[in-house]
Amino acid sequence: MKIYMVTIQKLAKSILVFLCFMLIGCTTKVVVKGYFPPPVVDPLPLKVAVVYDTDFSNYSYKEQDEEREEKEISMGEAQVELFTTVLEGMFEKVVYANDVSSSNDPTIDMFFYPIIDEFQYNMPVETKINMFEVWIKYHLKVYDAHGNIIADWIQTAYGKTPTAMFKSKEKALNEAMVVALRDVGAGFILRFNHLPEIQHWIKQQEQQSAFINTHPKNYVAVSTAPTNQHIVY
Amino acid sequence: MNHVLAIKQYSILLVLLSISACTTVTIDQVKVTESELLQGESVVVIGRRTGSDYETEPELISCVGKNLAKGKQGINVIPETEFVDRLYPWFEARTAPSHIKDLHRLLRYDKVKAIFSDYNVHYIIWIDGNTEKTRSSGSISCSISTVGVSCFGFGTWDNESQYEASIWDYKTKVQIGKVSSFAEGTSYVPAVVVPIPLIATVQTDACEAMALQLQTFFTSPSDIITGK
Repeated sequence: MKIYMVTIQKLAKSILVFLCFMLIGCTTKVVVKGYFPPPVVDPLPLKVAVVYDTDFSNYSYKEQDEEREEKEISMGEAQVELFTTVLEGMFEKVVYANDVSSSNDPTIDMFFYPIIDEFQYNMPVETKINMFEVWIKYHLKVYDAHGNIIADWIQTAYGKTPTAMFKSKEKALNEAMVVALRDVGAGFILRFNHLPEIQHWIKQQEQQSAFINTHPKNYVAVSTAPTNQHIVY
Repeated sequence: MNHVLAIKQYSILLVLLSISACTTVTIDQVKVTESELLQGESVVVIGRRTGSDYETEPELISCVGKNLAKGKQGINVIPETEFVDRLYPWFEARTAPSHIKDLHRLLRYDKVKAIFSDYNVHYIIWIDGNTEKTRSSGSISCSISTVGVSCFGFGTWDNESQYEASIWDYKTKVQIGKVSSFAEGTSYVPAVVVPIPLIATVQTDACEAMALQLQTFFTSPSDIITGK
């Protein structure tokens, strides 16, 4: 009798575990993965300390609407990878800091602090067009070495990918996410030098002879980087 | 006897599987100036991704690239992803040059110019358009019984492809012409016990026809790949 009871208990446990797995299986989770190439730009002669807080590096969008299909989109790792690649291409030296504070390192020129403000996605069934779409809104902040804000702006990103036969929704959404992340990287690279606050700050640094004397050649190269006039961000 | 019957059944199945629905493709071409592709020069095929309610399919771009490469002349085609990655962020959906003068401006940047020279690019082919389902009707119902699965019904749908390729000459910085492709086809799926799909491969046919036209585009009567 005892053996039977143990067997029934084991069976019940197995069923419970199976049901739990089934429930987990129903929750769709997309972990964004993609390739972010290094940018083709002349690096600015600056040493930048990058601050990724845990909200940013572990960012995961959780859908509250019960009727929507994708329940969790984890993109923290991918956006850290993107910004790291982009920043390391844009600046001569990139270091990582835990927070924005008056730095003990006198060689640090500025802090870069990205925040994710908003995330939205659309599935083809919702829009009636054969496309997966993603929007991301970033709040980007740049501080000087003393922790004073230099520039603070909104950078939006958009990515879309068409539906295709034999392509899963998760794969399509991942592709749209990668397009959006590449878009924010491209927008950031093209916009950074043209932000009035950044231009003003660079001019101020220019006036300090030490800055010009240490990096004269590179600075000229950066100031001649081309821009695409038709791009509106 | 059984052997003969099996062969017959397989033959019928093979015939049914090899039947596909028809597609009509119309190709138009405008050539402004002469084109010449020398030995060792490359062509890059890129999709325009600026449309708000459609996206030029990456499969179409790679299909055109593959078909251009496998022609008699064996044009050297740089894969879209490789090219766009190598030139990040200058050829992304929102940053890619939309006019030839934008390309001209972009090429003032030495690093970008060096990459173009590395690839020995002569022509850039921009493809814009998409394939979409324009109509669908009918229904098929399937049921499971002790004997097996059986389906009954009839389904049909129309697909339409519309693409336009603009060819830019990197060396002379002019648009040398355009090739447009319009394809339409109807697919059918009759189901009597087993559904038999008769699919119109509209996108593939549009791609192949456009690639064929692009090949002739790069071939002048006096022979293009001269090996100079």
